Amino acid sequence: MSFSIRKSLHPGLNLGEDHGDDRLEAETSVFGFWVFMMSDLVTFGMFFAVFATTMPLACCPGPKELFDLGSVAWQTAFLLASSLTSGMAILTLKQEHASRSASTKKLVFWLLVTVLLGCGFLYREISDFIAMAAAGGPPTRSGYLSALWSLVGLHGLHVTGGLIWCLVIVAGIVVRGVDHRWKLTLLRWAVFWHFLDVVWIAIFSFVFLGGLL
Amino acid sequence: MENNKEFRHYLIGFVLATLLTVIPFTLVATVGGKIAFFALILSAILQLIVHLRYFLHLSFKGQQREDLQLVLFTGLILLIMIGGSVWVLGDLYNRM
Repeated sequence: MSFSIRKSLHPGLNLGEDHGDDRLEAETSVFGFWVFMMSDLVTFGMFFAVFATTMPLACCPGPKELFDLGSVAWQTAFLLASSLTSGMAILTLKQEHASRSASTKKLVFWLLVTVLLGCGFLYREISDFIAMAAAGGPPTRSGYLSALWSLVGLHGLHVTGGLIWCLVIVAGIVVRGVDHRWKLTLLRWAVFWHFLDVVWIAIFSFVFLGGLL
Repeated sequence: MENNKEFRHYLIGFVLATLLTVIPFTLVATVGGKIAFFALILSAILQLIVHLRYFLHLSFKGQQREDLQLVLFTGLILLIMIGGSVWVLGDLYNRM
């Protein structure tokens, strides 16, 4: 079949020849997950559209009174670093877990580092929300602020979901080992996590930096 | 070594993404104005491509698989829906 000559089969890092059937099965399941991710992207896109239409009314309080550029930079750094560490986890999965007997220590380590970085992101984001509400910018204040809280909050909820998902995977790996099922779950989770960082690029560029210009 | 190559791939992506983050943040914080505006848009688009290429491993050459087409189609849908919304409501706003 043409499978064997194709270099890559699905989005995200592919498992490679050593993983046998897992690799081929990943094609349909991870590709299907990618289709779902794209529909999620449309959802985010609509939140962006609503936000964009309220931007001309962004005043009193607006971005200049409410945003903390330093904190946004920290959140960006946390999320970008967590993207790299999740990549390291999937790289470990590919290179060391073709056989089930491999030690899971390194894989679990990278996943937990990713969770820690994700928690750092969430901590700064929630602090920002609290500070924003205290500075007179709760979501009920204006259409602009409703759209802002919904958009950034939706992303924050996704991150929270991704963190819980990752912890479930870690627990599953520790209890049952890196079997067929957890491999495919990990590949999907990695696609999800990278996707969230992509959405964050749009948020920090358009909402925060664009708002402060 | 194949393993080192893949590791380097991630590292290159990370360095590029970091650069493309630092540039707009610095420009917005210091210079501002039109230069920062265009740099912001350009860095965001470039960083998007860096993430798709180095972290999500989408290939931009050939028609190896459907995931790139899916991204492009979703992009088209987004363009129509976001562009349309902003156009219509921006027009209303200007007439008010």
